[in-house]
Amino acid sequence: MRLIRLGLWLLRREGALKGMNASGEWRVLLLALVIGVGSVSTTGFLGDRLKRAMSEQGASFLGADVVVSSPRPLENWPRNALRTSSAVEFASMLTRGNAFQLATLRAVDAAYPLRGVVRIADRPFGTATPRPAQPPPGAVYVDQELLPLLNAQVGDTVQIGEATFRIAGVVAEEPGQFGGVFGLAPRVFLRTDEVERTRVLQPGSRLTYLYQFAGEPDQVAAFSTALKPTLDSAQRLIGSREGVETLRGAFANADRYIQLTALISLLLAVAAIAIAAHRHALRHYDQAALLRCIGATSAQLRTLYAAQLLTLGFLGSVLGVAVGALMQQALAGLVLPDAAARLPALGPAPVGAAVASGLLALVGASLPALMRLIRVPPLRVLRRDLPPLPVSGWISAALTGSALLLLIAWYAGDARLVGIFVGALAGLIGVLATLARLALLASRSVQRMAHGPLRFGLAQLLRHRFDSTLQLGAFTLALFLVALLALVRSDLVAGWRQQLPPDAPNYFLVNIAPHQQEAVATYLSQHHLQASVLYPMVRGRLVSKNGIPIADTLPEEARDSNALRRELNLTWTDALPPNNVVLAGRWHGQRRAAEISVEAGMAERLNLVLGDELGFRVGDQTLAARITSLRSVKWDSMQPNFFVIFAPGQLDALPTSSIASVHVPATAAGVLPGFVKAFPGITVLALDKLIANIEAVFAQIIGAIQLLLGFLLAAGMAVVVATLLASLDARQQEAVLLRTLGAQRAYLAKSLWSEFLVLGWLAGLLASACAEIAMALIGDRLFELPARLHPWLWLVLPPAGALLVGTSGWLTTRHITRVPPMESIRALN
Amino acid sequence: MTPSDSAQFPATVVAAHALSQRVPTAGGMLAILSEVELVVKAGETLAITGASGSGKSTLLGLLAGLDQPSAGEVFLLGEHLNDLDEDARARLRAGRIGFVFQSFQLLPALSALENILLPLELVGRADARESAARWLDRVGLADRADHTPRQLSGGEQQRVAIARAFATDPEIVFADEPTGNLDADTGARIIELLFDLNASARTTLVLVTHDDALAARCQRRLHLVAGRASEVALA
Repeated sequence: MRLIRLGLWLLRREGALKGMNASGEWRVLLLALVIGVGSVSTTGFLGDRLKRAMSEQGASFLGADVVVSSPRPLENWPRNALRTSSAVEFASMLTRGNAFQLATLRAVDAAYPLRGVVRIADRPFGTATPRPAQPPPGAVYVDQELLPLLNAQVGDTVQIGEATFRIAGVVAEEPGQFGGVFGLAPRVFLRTDEVERTRVLQPGSRLTYLYQFAGEPDQVAAFSTALKPTLDSAQRLIGSREGVETLRGAFANADRYIQLTALISLLLAVAAIAIAAHRHALRHYDQAALLRCIGATSAQLRTLYAAQLLTLGFLGSVLGVAVGALMQQALAGLVLPDAAARLPALGPAPVGAAVASGLLALVGASLPALMRLIRVPPLRVLRRDLPPLPVSGWISAALTGSALLLLIAWYAGDARLVGIFVGALAGLIGVLATLARLALLASRSVQRMAHGPLRFGLAQLLRHRFDSTLQLGAFTLALFLVALLALVRSDLVAGWRQQLPPDAPNYFLVNIAPHQQEAVATYLSQHHLQASVLYPMVRGRLVSKNGIPIADTLPEEARDSNALRRELNLTWTDALPPNNVVLAGRWHGQRRAAEISVEAGMAERLNLVLGDELGFRVGDQTLAARITSLRSVKWDSMQPNFFVIFAPGQLDALPTSSIASVHVPATAAGVLPGFVKAFPGITVLALDKLIANIEAVFAQIIGAIQLLLGFLLAAGMAVVVATLLASLDARQQEAVLLRTLGAQRAYLAKSLWSEFLVLGWLAGLLASACAEIAMALIGDRLFELPARLHPWLWLVLPPAGALLVGTSGWLTTRHITRVPPMESIRALN
Repeated sequence: MTPSDSAQFPATVVAAHALSQRVPTAGGMLAILSEVELVVKAGETLAITGASGSGKSTLLGLLAGLDQPSAGEVFLLGEHLNDLDEDARARLRAGRIGFVFQSFQLLPALSALENILLPLELVGRADARESAARWLDRVGLADRADHTPRQLSGGEQQRVAIARAFATDPEIVFADEPTGNLDADTGARIIELLFDLNASARTTLVLVTHDDALAARCQRRLHLVAGRASEVALA
């Protein structure tokens, strides 16, 4: 206890010393820790929030957290505190006068939907307001496509079975809108308690019961786990993740990016801590030797320095968590503002994790330096040149290495990420050391041509080759990691923006009959609208592979695939659609043969390979074709996309309709009611809401990522400052000598500036190269970003590095040019 | 000599027998000290003199238990140092041995008073602060208690260091060139202070110096030439 008190007393006294030179390393250590822990607690929270945002979005697309669809009433489900709603879906004919139309009826209760909103408008394409999906008694809400088909308007009545209903509004937006909509008959909402009145349902009628559940995430997860084993093959459990197919890629990338940023911020903090701890040890050899000399045992020194370290660790961690907590407040408004109120407060678990990781980083990074400090020989008080006893290299490396690995594994939670990261980091250190040495050698030729302070500054760099290499390596590492994440960020954001250009299609036109194609094209061009390529579409079911029923070729768990349960939209074209890339085999082009191209994900799920012959049933016909290519498809491109594309000519004999997408600017929204009237059979499917949703999510993610980059920059700065401080004593000694020998302040200042500017420039140059290489290596694997050069990086990073290192170098060292030499000499003594 | 032998000389504070120190160099082993014999009794003052590189500081380090000899034995305060590891030697030094260094070795972050307080805190003395203040007063720096070493002159720093050395009431004080960094006048005043305090505390004093005036103040003088010691009879 006495020693702990003594340790803290010494710490406090050192903390009170003025000037960076005096106790700078403690401050850097503390700062690095605050940045590291702050970044970890913020990103931990952010990751959690993003996951919630994703399932919230998914849930609002699906209408619930979990939906069970079943052809029979679901009798036994695990009862718990979840909110529930049930609906029945069936097909029936709507009639009005002489007009009739098949529609999908969804009978809903008052609780529907549990998540997301239903918006109802009073007229087609009119302003929609959120309302309960359950219409008032005696009324229905209908899809706007139904009105022209029935020659009806809002307020008119329609007949369903034996009952008459008033059309009370049109459904402008509803959950589940985007899932498998093609070819669906227009939807009608009615009340569950009015189904009986229609007398449409008879024994043997095809019905789908939809049970919806929503609640706290852990309750939902427990419920899903309990329910799954009780379901048979005709019943299906759909989680909220499935409602958000379009956003999944963006979320996964953002999540991975956030993990990586947290990890790198923490590692940069560890680097800064290690450098600061090393300097701290160096500067305390004399103190430790004196303490040993006046009777402190190594155990007492250990206690004393451990008390100091742990106190700093706790202080840094607590401050870091406080920073993290403040950041969450800022982020709460940015990511998922709607759900902010429902999110739990920062619990003890993430706080504990952040503090633990801060302490682990601190101990791992500073233990080798402290071990040396404890092993200082007391004889150093008489002979100052005596170094501390060396600590076995592998013990230090093992200590720091295992602490780092633990941290990486903890945060990444992804073996591939850990592998890539550790490998890259190890390789990088080797490459950096070599590159840094080479770059310094190159600056020798510059030095020969230079004059005055510049020449002297460069000579200083070359004279302290070892230190300069270390500094250059550390600066490069910091700049490289910041640049890498900036690159990933800019490429991710550019990728997302590209995905949703301002003229992205916002309407799908479905069910265009062959004879309507020309008229549709004419109508659109008259109104200055440009539709995408028309894709002919035939609905068919995949039934066999190489002559064997497809289900028999798959293991039990793969038989539940959507591609088998649902009819597929089959198309044919000779031109590979945009956003599709052939991954294997050859695109069939204009070859008129029984060939198909299959989406790679579907091929993987169904164990399909090139050369397999697939059989499809379309209506009462069957047809077979061989797989000659596998494609990747950008599902979030807002273009018509297909799992299976036939070679031309194969589907000619089948009844087809076509699908196209079109961008309708807000100013031309008035065109659509006319279009629907002119082409009553064509379904117009609005994607505006979906696009707006996606854009909002992207904006939130991008905002959050900007904040994280701020942390990363701060961590990088901490490394730069720690490195500069580590060289401060030697610089001060030289400056004193030079001033004593007659160097003027301006001369010293200029030579310091030249030294730092050159170091920063070189670091920026090396970091650009490393970032490009790393981006080429990991961008594709982690974020599906194609490799490309970033010329702007090479232009921006070297001057930015020079500015950063130059300014912080000057700020850290400027006082050594100002203090009178005598005072400096006394301070050094 | 064995510990039981040493027990026959209760007044012996520090003793060396056949003490040698050799260090490896590029040209082979270099003998810094050879076969040094020495016995210092309680209350004695001993000067170790010799030219630069003659092995004075090495001998001081060995006698104080700061280093281990290549050969020979050292007894300090009744303990056979050869049998003790570094931590045991540190425990022996705590509170019982004081040090004064040429370069003062004050901690820059601590004030004058706190520097004196440090060894008292380390041994856990209850009246540490009062005792430190008393010693600061005795070296004439009571009004500089809050000044850090940077705010003190060389002579003042060495006075603080001397107060620190005596503050724990040690049985022996080792001083390594205590005036080496000071001008002649200041050095003389420091010597005066050191011997006054030593006399009043009846402490044994072993000091290394190449200053004849300082050596002359000691009762005994051990002169080293190329690592070999011989006691010089004082007039």
